[in-house]
Amino acid sequence: MLVAVAAEPESATEASDAELAGRVRGGDRAAEAELFRRLAPRVRLYGLRHLRDPAAADDLVQDVLLMTFDSLRAGKVREDERLASYVLGTCRRMAIGLARSTTRRQRLLERFGPELAPAAWTFDSPSLDLDRLVSCLERLAERERSVVVLSFYADRGAAEIASELGLSPANVRVVRHRALARLRGCMEARA
Amino acid sequence: MTRVTSCSDPLDLATLVDYWFGDLDGPDLDRVEEHLLECDACGSVLRSLMATGDGVRRLARAGAFGVVVSPSFLQTASRQGLRVREYRVPAGGRVDCTLTADDDLLVSYLEGDFRGVSRLDLVVQVEDGPEHRVFDLPISPSSPELIVAQAMPALRALPSATMRMRLLAREGEGDRLVGEYTFAHTASATGRE
Repeated sequence: MLVAVAAEPESATEASDAELAGRVRGGDRAAEAELFRRLAPRVRLYGLRHLRDPAAADDLVQDVLLMTFDSLRAGKVREDERLASYVLGTCRRMAIGLARSTTRRQRLLERFGPELAPAAWTFDSPSLDLDRLVSCLERLAERERSVVVLSFYADRGAAEIASELGLSPANVRVVRHRALARLRGCMEARA
Repeated sequence: MTRVTSCSDPLDLATLVDYWFGDLDGPDLDRVEEHLLECDACGSVLRSLMATGDGVRRLARAGAFGVVVSPSFLQTASRQGLRVREYRVPAGGRVDCTLTADDDLLVSYLEGDFRGVSRLDLVVQVEDGPEHRVFDLPISPSSPELIVAQAMPALRALPSATMRMRLLAREGEGDRLVGEYTFAHTASATGRE
């Protein structure tokens, strides 16, 4: 007699995002928890990139994931394979509203709490050896160091830096990339 | 689609850098953002880049290293409420200078005519010590000055001394003097560590 053996369901941690999305629709709480665990840091990264503010990025995570899971449970996400696209669309819509309230907070934080703010940007990153970073920065060529500082400290894009330093935007991008690759290599050489 | 634990088609660092600084748009931006919402490996590289950025911000704010800067750097420092001591020196000029415990940054404006200059070097000499040449500074030919944020730890450790700076435009096989600048530095009795 042939006995049909049902495949063991994959554990939530081994399943793909799309598989988890399907299970969430079926009410699987473990799948929901695992998908939340995966998506939260990715959405936060999106928030940091667009809002440049850790607190606003945290708000975005809450807003986007509430909406996403609500839609998943309600079967409104049509293709599980396109989950990332759905989340991206939600991120973009939600970030517009948050951006407005973020600007004032950023100004205040920049002025009164700059020592507190940066740490929150990388809450899940390893600590940075600042002495080593100084040494690595000092090894860069002058224009590389200037471009890195204006990029991160003055928060300027390639076109603005190009205008200030008399370079072309394409040249700034090349210099910026080369400098950051060198910094990365230098930091990792001692890590 | 399988869960991405390592990336089979990783974004290169240049793309991630352009993304972080807002220099991607259109389909390129869509592709990168969608990828980052699926890929933790590339997200990790971007987080590492952000951590470096955090460090650069902190160090720049503390004046931990010398660097050629621009007006936007000074605007940021001003917004942050930093005390920036500034010395503006014309070509051939001399200035008395010092540093106090209240100063967060010290910036020198080296004035000159940079039109036609494609490569600019800076030679620094303290008293009769050895010359230190810094190559290929970034300067806009239309700018009336080179703005240099000095390394604060080195300045705080500097005794009273005369420092000479020369800006040299590299032309063919030789150098043309753009300007010479003299700083008569008085060490502060209350310099911070």
